Amino acid sequence: MRWYNSTNKKFLYLLPGLLFVLILVAYGLLQTIIESFADPKGQGLTFANYSRLFEQKSFWDSLVFSFRVSFISTVIALTIGIVVTKFLHEILLKKSWKLLIWLPMLFPHFIAGYLILLLFAPSGLFSTLASQIGIIDEMSQFPIIVMDRQGVGIILTYIWKEIPFVVLMLLPVFAQIDNRYKDVVRTLGGGKWETFRTVEWPWLFPVVVETGLIIFAFVFAAFEVPYLLGATYPKMLPVLAYQWFFEGNWSNRPLAMASMLLITAMIMILATIFFYLLQKKRYRMMRGN
Amino acid sequence: MKKQRKMIVIVILIAVFSVPIILLSLKSLAVGWSWGELLPSDFSLRGWSVVLNDPKIVAAISVTYKIAIAVILLNLLIAIPTGRALAFYSFKGKGVIETILFMPILIPALAIAMGIHLTMIKLGLADQWLGVVLVHLIPTVPYSIRILRSGFERVGMKWEEQSFTLGGTTLSTFWLVMFPLLLPSLRAAIYLTYVISLSQYVLTALIGGGNVVTLAMLYYPYFSSVDDMVIASFSLMFALLPLLFIVMVELVIRVTIFIGK
Repeated sequence: MRWYNSTNKKFLYLLPGLLFVLILVAYGLLQTIIESFADPKGQGLTFANYSRLFEQKSFWDSLVFSFRVSFISTVIALTIGIVVTKFLHEILLKKSWKLLIWLPMLFPHFIAGYLILLLFAPSGLFSTLASQIGIIDEMSQFPIIVMDRQGVGIILTYIWKEIPFVVLMLLPVFAQIDNRYKDVVRTLGGGKWETFRTVEWPWLFPVVVETGLIIFAFVFAAFEVPYLLGATYPKMLPVLAYQWFFEGNWSNRPLAMASMLLITAMIMILATIFFYLLQKKRYRMMRGN
Repeated sequence: MKKQRKMIVIVILIAVFSVPIILLSLKSLAVGWSWGELLPSDFSLRGWSVVLNDPKIVAAISVTYKIAIAVILLNLLIAIPTGRALAFYSFKGKGVIETILFMPILIPALAIAMGIHLTMIKLGLADQWLGVVLVHLIPTVPYSIRILRSGFERVGMKWEEQSFTLGGTTLSTFWLVMFPLLLPSLRAAIYLTYVISLSQYVLTALIGGGNVVTLAMLYYPYFSSVDDMVIASFSLMFALLPLLFIVMVELVIRVTIFIGK
């Protein structure tokens, strides 16, 4: 068993994970890329599918809509998540409170979508409350928030669902921060904001970026919630892509694949930009600046 | 003053997460709860009886569990060794390997599944529950690897080394020493995988082709029905299933530890 030396052993342990990435992820993505460039009339590769995609107005509307919804959901969920963790991390690090944060994580996303509908629909709780107070007299006077063309219902769902995720990602960071640094800032006359900016933020920043990327990528490529709460037009891009994928004679399949690949490419570009930003920042921190 | 502000944040937080769930529970039991009434006047179990007497739902529960359990077992099989290697070994190109293993979190699973579809058809895995299991690995495994990796990092190498010094084998060391120490991470990975698998509509529809009917596949047709009571009961079931699953897993863990002793 000479082959079973320590280098091979490391590799053996990594093998299941690498096989997963190679066989499922890399292979699947490669097939999608190939099919998106396949010539619909015969052999060979072509940009025809992409130019056909770029001619569709529905594609551009969906892309802008998806990007806006993902961006807004991510920024709001991150902001609220950071504030909540900052105020409550001492309490939340205790075991029983951690369970409370886990609870919303146990709901599928589309159930969260239904909860938002129960709260914000014209027939929902807030509409009833408004009528109790006397702001509105009829159901129809309540603004359309869910299943609207601005995607507010979708955004609310993701905020509700992702705040616990942000808190769970940030809690370990707050637990790591050396509180003596805060004392230093305070001794030197720094206020609360100074403490947050100089002590906590540099620790939080990498995890905030990572969490934000995960949420953005998730919402940008999500199907379940927009399928439930989206308006007929514009559709979120994955919903449009799925529709193309299964339409009649498969002729729009390349369009579906090209749209999903463009989403992938945009996420990757964003991830690369933030990765380099982080590297630069780390370098600065190492020099003690 | 500071304490008061904290209390306010806590109260808001609890309200934001509990009010919708209480509302959902009421909705699943309320009869003729019309707009403008703050509380329902009449209750019945009709919504629940419709949901639990639907043979399609009963069948879907067992399909959903079968798929979820297979997905969880495969997740652990992949994530435990990989997480351990990432936590304990350092080697050339580790950064690249880490990036490769982390990437699938950011790559849309739908983009991958669209590409696998044809291959799945050729291999006879499309329209089969096994094909659905494989495609559910895509959105779950990267998270499991991350969770297990930080689990191994938290526990450290010392315990393993001690066990090996005392003559433990790889298997007995994992089972008797690392398994109990890793429990918090294993739990997190299991529950997260379960909820993600339970939540998949589009991947299941794509590879299962309408033949593999999980609960998520039934939710959308139910959602377009007009019966609020029934939709609410079905929705609440999605929240109760993970709780039921947690009770099951905790029982299995207790029994495993008991037998191990």
